[in-house]
Amino acid sequence: MMLEGKTALVTGARGGIGRAIVARFLREGARVYAADLTPRGSLDAHDDDGSIFIKQDVTQEVDAIAAMDRVNAESGQLDILVNAAGIEIEKTIEDTTLEEWNRSFAVNATGTFLTSKYALPLLRRAGKSGASASVINFGSYDGFIADPGLAAYCATKGAVHALTRAMACDHGPEGIRVNAICPGYIDTPMLQSFFTGDGSGGGGKSIDQLQQAVRDVHPMRTYGTPKDIANLVNWLASDEARYASGQLWVLDGGLSAQVQQMKL
Amino acid sequence: MRLMGKTALVTGGRQGIGRGIVDAFMAEGASVTACGRGPRPDGLPEDCGWVQADVSDQGQIQALTSACPAPDILVNNAGVQVEKTVADSTDADWNLVIGVNCRGAFNTCRAFIPLMTNGGSIINIGSISGHVADPSMALYNASKAFVHGLTRSIAVDHGPGLRCNAICPGWIETGMLEAGFGLSDDPAAARRDALSRHATRRFGQPADIAAMAVWLASDEAGFATGQLFTIDGGMTAASPINTGLF
Repeated sequence: MMLEGKTALVTGARGGIGRAIVARFLREGARVYAADLTPRGSLDAHDDDGSIFIKQDVTQEVDAIAAMDRVNAESGQLDILVNAAGIEIEKTIEDTTLEEWNRSFAVNATGTFLTSKYALPLLRRAGKSGASASVINFGSYDGFIADPGLAAYCATKGAVHALTRAMACDHGPEGIRVNAICPGYIDTPMLQSFFTGDGSGGGGKSIDQLQQAVRDVHPMRTYGTPKDIANLVNWLASDEARYASGQLWVLDGGLSAQVQQMKL
Repeated sequence: MRLMGKTALVTGGRQGIGRGIVDAFMAEGASVTACGRGPRPDGLPEDCGWVQADVSDQGQIQALTSACPAPDILVNNAGVQVEKTVADSTDADWNLVIGVNCRGAFNTCRAFIPLMTNGGSIINIGSISGHVADPSMALYNASKAFVHGLTRSIAVDHGPGLRCNAICPGWIETGMLEAGFGLSDDPAAARRDALSRHATRRFGQPADIAAMAVWLASDEAGFATGQLFTIDGGMTAASPINTGLF
């Protein structure tokens, strides 16, 4: 077990990727706080998995403060913070309202900022203990290259990438490592929403045909799963990754390693 | 004219991007010498010098330094490609691609760096393929990444007297591009598909690359060094997944 004795807090913990992270952390022996808007999050059901639910809206400063107060009171420590809460608005900038733009930044960028800010005193204490504390943010391959019709999302993820490096730079000396995972196409409710929303393109094709076409663009010929992401989150959270900091870890089945795959 | 009074050497100046750079430099007032493996090409402007030389051969570099003993601008454009995976590539393929694209750029840079004037500019032609992989172009992709690394090294080691940058072209309209479409079952559809992946909805022209080369060669670019400038009509800014095309 790689995380025995560690305490973790995961935001967006009831979403597709968040649940896989929580499950993995529990299996690796960590005490896990699962923070989300509701116990169900973006999925239909919630199995009692052994994690401790915290109701946290990552855009609210009071919620971040309350979450860390509770972790401190109950556990007295926090070694791992995963900022996985995120939303996606599927529009160009022309169609994006100011409210949608602000909400995208509030969840994806400000949420990462607020939760990290109030976790720092606890993380600093963990860092001083000798084993490093680890913050794992969620960037995206969309922070490097753009998917069409996802303008605000792309921009928030670029912001998270820069924030990740800044946090690593500022808090490395305190024993806190900060990295971002940049997923490509991962089979989650967010991805399915992308396919059934305006982003689907279509051209008379069924959703299944469309999804197969997208899989075929990947060198691995498939999407990733939340488990694939959890595998890397687990490693970055563990002491095996004690020299890994300030990096953006792209996990996309080789998608962004290639030039556009034109039909020739 | 932005390059008046400057002397330039352009390798691989026979056709395509190299020839576009020769034409643009001359239009901006530079005195230009070009080189290539073959004889002087038809239609090269009379006042452009031509040296028949293979940059991959160290023994032929002397002919270039003799013809152009103190250039202000060096453009390493000579390049070849072999369309194979690593498993299929032969020793001869390695010698050709690495010889011209890597060794060639090294040969000319090593020979000309001591000869170039203070304030000189080296412009290497890298490629988007040095950042992301074109399928079945393994040695070419790797050779362009070498060019990118060499570019930064020269900038770091030989400033402040010398600037060194690379231009990374995307799909540029040349005979080679047309030949590629010709291999498709449906050349018109292939062309449409490729165009729709460019934000500009057109391919590049040699003049588009030459325009950046002129700027990098000019004194306007006095603070630009060690960088890779991609000119690809927006192609690599976009995800390879464009569901509108499926």
